[in-house]
Amino acid sequence: MSDVPVILVANRGEIAMRIIAAARRIGASPVLAASVADKDSPAARAADRVIVIGASPANQSYLKPEQVAQAAVMAGAAAVHPGYGFLSEQPALCELLEEEGIAWVGPRPETLRAVGDKGSARQVAIDAGVPVGAGVEIDDPTNVVALGEQIGYPLLIKAIHGGGGRGIRLVTNPEELAELAPQAAAEAVAAFGNGALYLERYYGSARHVEVQVFGDGEGNAWIFGDRDCSVQRRHQKLIEECPAPGLSEKRRALLHDSSRALVKVLRYRGAGTVEFLVDTESEDVIFLEVNARIQVEHPVTEEAFGVDLVAAQLLLALGRDPQLPDVGPVPPAAVIEMRINAEDPDADFQPNSGDITRLVWPRGPGIRIDTQIEEGYRFPPFYDSLMAKLIVRAHNRDAAVAAATAAVRNVTIDGLKTTLPMHAYVLAHPDFIAGGIPTSWFGPVWEARKESLT
Amino acid sequence: MAEQPSWQDVLDLIAQLNESDYESASVQVGDVSIRLSKNDVGFDPGQVAGRVGAQPRIETGFDTPTPSATQPATAAASATQPATAALGDTIDAPMIGVFYRRPSPGAEPFVEPGQRVEADTTIGIIEIMKLMNPIVAGKAGVITDFLVTDADAVEFGQPLATINTSA
Repeated sequence: MSDVPVILVANRGEIAMRIIAAARRIGASPVLAASVADKDSPAARAADRVIVIGASPANQSYLKPEQVAQAAVMAGAAAVHPGYGFLSEQPALCELLEEEGIAWVGPRPETLRAVGDKGSARQVAIDAGVPVGAGVEIDDPTNVVALGEQIGYPLLIKAIHGGGGRGIRLVTNPEELAELAPQAAAEAVAAFGNGALYLERYYGSARHVEVQVFGDGEGNAWIFGDRDCSVQRRHQKLIEECPAPGLSEKRRALLHDSSRALVKVLRYRGAGTVEFLVDTESEDVIFLEVNARIQVEHPVTEEAFGVDLVAAQLLLALGRDPQLPDVGPVPPAAVIEMRINAEDPDADFQPNSGDITRLVWPRGPGIRIDTQIEEGYRFPPFYDSLMAKLIVRAHNRDAAVAAATAAVRNVTIDGLKTTLPMHAYVLAHPDFIAGGIPTSWFGPVWEARKESLT
Repeated sequence: MAEQPSWQDVLDLIAQLNESDYESASVQVGDVSIRLSKNDVGFDPGQVAGRVGAQPRIETGFDTPTPSATQPATAAASATQPATAALGDTIDAPMIGVFYRRPSPGAEPFVEPGQRVEADTTIGIIEIMKLMNPIVAGKAGVITDFLVTDADAVEFGQPLATINTSA
């Protein structure tokens, strides 16, 4: 037996590069499980070995637990890192690996189940004493007005078995509720095979703030501050920052303490994120969900606190000390991440693919680029549009915004349309510079810009 | 004989060796030398590959057919093209897993090189996490060679066998 453990990287793109770097950092040997489209990718070249697990479409490769598990067996892997997306929160792969005695870089399967479903996640939060939104299940859609009063307006009617934003209705008064609830029930039956409904308080002007946790699997937690991810378009995060600007000490303490309580209740293992809605019009803080994986935006936390969360994940999975420090609630630096997507912001963010003919990244103190792209890389059409994450650190938020603005200006990506012009616009906007904008901010602001140009 | 032996020439040699009492034979044609052996004794693949150089496929060409005397002749009857063209088509693994040539350990292989197959003929099994998947040829022709051995781990798209579709 070699004492160099093999890490199977079950993902692609920038996060595959990131996991490979972390594996190298801890002296492990990274092996990439790749689709045909990615078998000669930069990540494939960076790995010690590539195992082709399936055809190019993700549903024939990266989304197949058996194929990834088979690759792990073939690689002689000690652990499998699933990255984010794909199979990262699926108990299926985790359990297949367990049978083979291969470690899963992530929480236990029962944790994935407990937080993977809206209803059970809410129950876990209640058990942990974490604030959840006022909500109530509807027994009889023709008799809902009293329940509406209990929650307050505006409120949302949600299909319990819905998802991805489907089956949700906004209601501002009792008359609307009485009219729309029976319709929503009928639609839920048609769409989801189940008419069960749920009423929830609606926050029209709230921020998305999340807490980075790392559990030792025994109930103890490291808390690595918070991130604000409120610059969103249709629930897709565009810009993230650490720490979340303008949080009172009391609110921050509530967010961090709640997250710590969740880690304890779940005996959470490894890196995770607890997402909250932070209202800008009241003092309400509401638990949204637990993301039981490393997230796209983890670098802002890493840069702000000077830690390597992915290396810590690998070490913990291998049964070693994750080598993480205890830190205070607020990091000593401010960090902003811009997601550079292969999308045209002037054409409704339509994704595009093709050859990258020229690529220049900015250099300088506090600049980090997490990416798989390089000059000559053919950006494939099969997967999501994330090309790179530009991460900029400075001593405070104002300096970070200024540095991020300069960094964005000094990126050249030729051959594809990217979201860089959108970043330049947001970073220069007085609302963003002031900090603390809600998730509802970006949509109308971007629309208004478009109208001002025509 | 031409300057370089054709696939047909090599198959003829194999057929003759099989019908003879000789254990091995060595033939030099121009700058190509071919060594044939009924068993592995005295067989040095490195040496052969080194000498054959430009046509390394010949080496594997005679390695597997030797157990059966009739099969090489079947293939030889129609193999009139140069070796590389006849071996051009492959049957590729449609999934990652462990490839088996037999339905169970000790059983006869599904097919042997030299055998004619149809598109729906099972040529092997790929096991993926304890699930057995029959693998069909996918095209009609004569199997000329297996490129992986029994119980080898294979990746998606890896060539499993060569097939002569014009046979």
